[in-house]
Amino acid sequence: MRAFRHAMAALALLALSLGVTTGNAAEQSEGRPAPQEILRDWYYLMNELVRHTATYSPPVASRSFGYLGITAFEAAVGGSDKLVSLVGQVQGLEAVPAREAGAVYDETIIISAAMSDAIVFYFGNTGPTGQRAIKTAQRKWRERVVDGVADDVVARSETFGKAMAASIHEWSLTDGGAVVTNMGFPEKWELPTGDDKWVPTGPIRQQQLPLLPEWGTVRTFAMPSGATCPTPGNPAFSAEAGTPFYQEALEVYETGKTLTPEQLAIARFWSDDPMLSMTPPGHWVSIAMQVAERADLSLDDNVDLLARMGIGMSDAFVGCWHAKFTYNLLRPVTYIKKYIDPKWEPALNTPPFPEYPSGHSTVSGAMDAVMTHFFGDNYAFEDHTGSPDGRNPRMFKSFHEAAEEAGISRMYGGIHFRAAIVDGLTQGRCIAEYTNKLKTRK
Amino acid sequence: MRLVSFGLAVALVCVSIATAHAQQAAPVIPTLVDETAGTGIDSTFKGEWEYMVGGGAASFDCNGDLYPDVLLAGGEEPAKFYMNASTVGGPLKFTAAESGLELEHVTGAYPLDVDSDGIMDVALLRVGENVVMRGLGGCKFERANETWGFSGGDLWWTSLAATWEKGADWPTIAVGSYIDRAEEISPWGSCTDNWLLRPAAGERKFGAPVVLKPSYCPLSIMFTDWNRSGTPSLRVSNDREYYEGGQEQMWKIEPGKEPVLYKADEGWRPLRIWGMGIASYDLNFDGYLEYFLTSMADNKLQTLAAVPTEGSAAKPTYADVAYPKGVTAHRPYTGDDLKPSTAWHSEFQDMNNDGMVDLFIAKGNVWEMPDFAMKDPNNLLLQLPDGKFMEAGDKAGISHNGQSRGAALADFNLDGLVDLVVVNRNSPAQVWRNATAEAGNWLQVKLKQAGANPDAVGAWLEVRCNPQTMRREISVGGGHAGGQAGWSHFGVGSEAEVDIRVTWPDGTAGEWQRVAANAFYVVEKGKAAEAWVPR
Repeated sequence: MRAFRHAMAALALLALSLGVTTGNAAEQSEGRPAPQEILRDWYYLMNELVRHTATYSPPVASRSFGYLGITAFEAAVGGSDKLVSLVGQVQGLEAVPAREAGAVYDETIIISAAMSDAIVFYFGNTGPTGQRAIKTAQRKWRERVVDGVADDVVARSETFGKAMAASIHEWSLTDGGAVVTNMGFPEKWELPTGDDKWVPTGPIRQQQLPLLPEWGTVRTFAMPSGATCPTPGNPAFSAEAGTPFYQEALEVYETGKTLTPEQLAIARFWSDDPMLSMTPPGHWVSIAMQVAERADLSLDDNVDLLARMGIGMSDAFVGCWHAKFTYNLLRPVTYIKKYIDPKWEPALNTPPFPEYPSGHSTVSGAMDAVMTHFFGDNYAFEDHTGSPDGRNPRMFKSFHEAAEEAGISRMYGGIHFRAAIVDGLTQGRCIAEYTNKLKTRK
Repeated sequence: MRLVSFGLAVALVCVSIATAHAQQAAPVIPTLVDETAGTGIDSTFKGEWEYMVGGGAASFDCNGDLYPDVLLAGGEEPAKFYMNASTVGGPLKFTAAESGLELEHVTGAYPLDVDSDGIMDVALLRVGENVVMRGLGGCKFERANETWGFSGGDLWWTSLAATWEKGADWPTIAVGSYIDRAEEISPWGSCTDNWLLRPAAGERKFGAPVVLKPSYCPLSIMFTDWNRSGTPSLRVSNDREYYEGGQEQMWKIEPGKEPVLYKADEGWRPLRIWGMGIASYDLNFDGYLEYFLTSMADNKLQTLAAVPTEGSAAKPTYADVAYPKGVTAHRPYTGDDLKPSTAWHSEFQDMNNDGMVDLFIAKGNVWEMPDFAMKDPNNLLLQLPDGKFMEAGDKAGISHNGQSRGAALADFNLDGLVDLVVVNRNSPAQVWRNATAEAGNWLQVKLKQAGANPDAVGAWLEVRCNPQTMRREISVGGGHAGGQAGWSHFGVGSEAEVDIRVTWPDGTAGEWQRVAANAFYVVEKGKAAEAWVPR
């Protein structure tokens, strides 16, 4: 996070140089933070923990961002004259704690208290350094947010924030995705057989069975189930040259053989490997944080955005995983080595689960739809997510453009056929429509 | 010490290993007896966050009896030194002794004779300042940072390696550091600098440290002649938990030149693991070392992707063969805790003397990491005749479930069988005596040369049993926060005699010498191997 914040500081300087106002956030950073500022601080820390918590594969990260976003949103609803609760709109959320009528609350303290407890609920299994960071943040950031606030307001606000975090967490435990063991790899799983079926692609013993094969049954937030937005299916499998499937594989192969430096940079920019990055969900949260900070979004806008993104990305991964384990398609590296060139290697590490559709494409399609719905078309932004890892920032004219690039990056990386990318993006946009229909404003 | 001249001999054919390869016989399961309670070793590596890694063990002789003495890191407690009081074949006995090495904040230790005076010195890795301790004889040591111009720094030091660069009469030491301790909320991406301390020009002391940038939080480093060029490179195993944009590294360290990283266009391939320890051995008898890299979940066994043909140079491209060789050791093999494992010190030693080197791995949860096994037994993977390994830690008796960290595998009672000391975090160290009844024959060799680098760090020791030749590189570094000096052990199966040869650090290849098994030999450069009989 330290390095990332440095990158963000550079971004802020860039924004200033471009004449973009940074507004209240910069003014308030000298003293007590505004609620949206402390919210962003917690989110930056949580995105670090996504990278540094062993169970945090992309589906798991998306789920946590779903509940975290709703926690922040519901914590803020009672203090806003614009927001509408998600109770009754997302599956299984039937009630949340209410504020005392007429009592004084502090929004910064509520948000910080809610996130301070939620981070433990969702990242309590992180390692000792993460635990230390959480405890330090809880202590130091509490000192910042309670400074100068009356004791009764502090107590009331903290109690409410904590109650909200606990309530959302209790609800989360019933969705079927709360318990993840062995870093998501099952002890037992019967692999479907057939020439077109997924087989392990690497020598890692832990990954000889696919990641989270039952994730497609996890309760969704806004869409009815993981089966709601089905994909049309990959082209019919064939090892025959000239068939559509062979041609798709040949496209991956030839793209990989003639990869340009720009294509390789794109593949790496969106690689988002678990344990080496904040994963695709974290990458999109990072984009949202950068955009929100630059746009100096209000608390209402921040929590609305983060809740919608969390809901959309979580549903996207459930839908994608439902499809993945419907088709159980083999990866390009398996096909190409067998039928085209036994010495071929993809530019990226092949993820340990079936190919179709592409998870990054599905979530990127969903995030394109959610963020475009929120910010509008042709919202240009620069993404510095990879800067701490030495990757150059990339400029995008729109969220749509970013999502399309994220999708095709998987072909440049040699880990997806085109159909998985195209259908994944479409599936994500379909899933996001359910998120976009949620009523969050009066 | 009694030296007996044995003389040179012609090469003969040894057949036991070749025969075993053809037959795939079941290995002898070693018997390791936990003698901790009676050994006198009572050290614990204690500490909180800054001591979640480290906990090294060093073994070396410092009183001239050639029995390995032991130094164990103590973390927040003082390190503890134990003088070996064992007798040949007897129970393992150690006596805690005031040596001067009992510093606090010690995370690891490596023995090396810095000033080449024939008396072992010790480099101490610490949270804070590293300290080199000059051996005075009789297992007494004194601080020598100032005398030797050694910059100790003030970092969280985790790894060390040393070599004598070509023509140098003073060692080059590399030290690896970990996280910026001041970063409480954002320690990720805060890896502090690794240093290379080369000899000062024209002086018998260290020069100013050279920063090895980029530095990626290594937990093990070693100088190793991976390509048999005669010039060791610096292999660095980094903890991906804390670096950003990092990977495993290998530095070209050529005399008189700035360190340079091997790059992709030379064949280096990115690998990102929770690198915690390095062990090396020529497992496939091709003349090049395999490297076992400990991590969390799957561990890695790297072998050269392509062995160079005659006259060509090796490329630093490695293939991971841990899975086909059966050494992923990715989760506990016994007990009911089946979460992924966490591996630290590893070491290749032949525990049953069958001529096929085995692999020990110290295991233990980092610190209350619930996604990884809390009951994580240490591994003893026995090599089979086909080159694969089978787990025997539980059967051998070493499947301890503590938070193990460092270890030293050495023949502490000089009976020809490799014993074991394991350092545990926040619980006492343990000692196992190897009491394998059906073990094969063995051979132990100590190298010696006049002048600088008297222990011949950088030499290669070969034991030939046709059609195979076993090889060890004499090195300072690797493991997890601890190293050993002294006897190099080889199991030789049923062979009564074997041929040995030394390629000395300057590249000089000695003659093949025929020696009898079940004996100790001191091999001095330019001289015949001399048998040595312990007291």
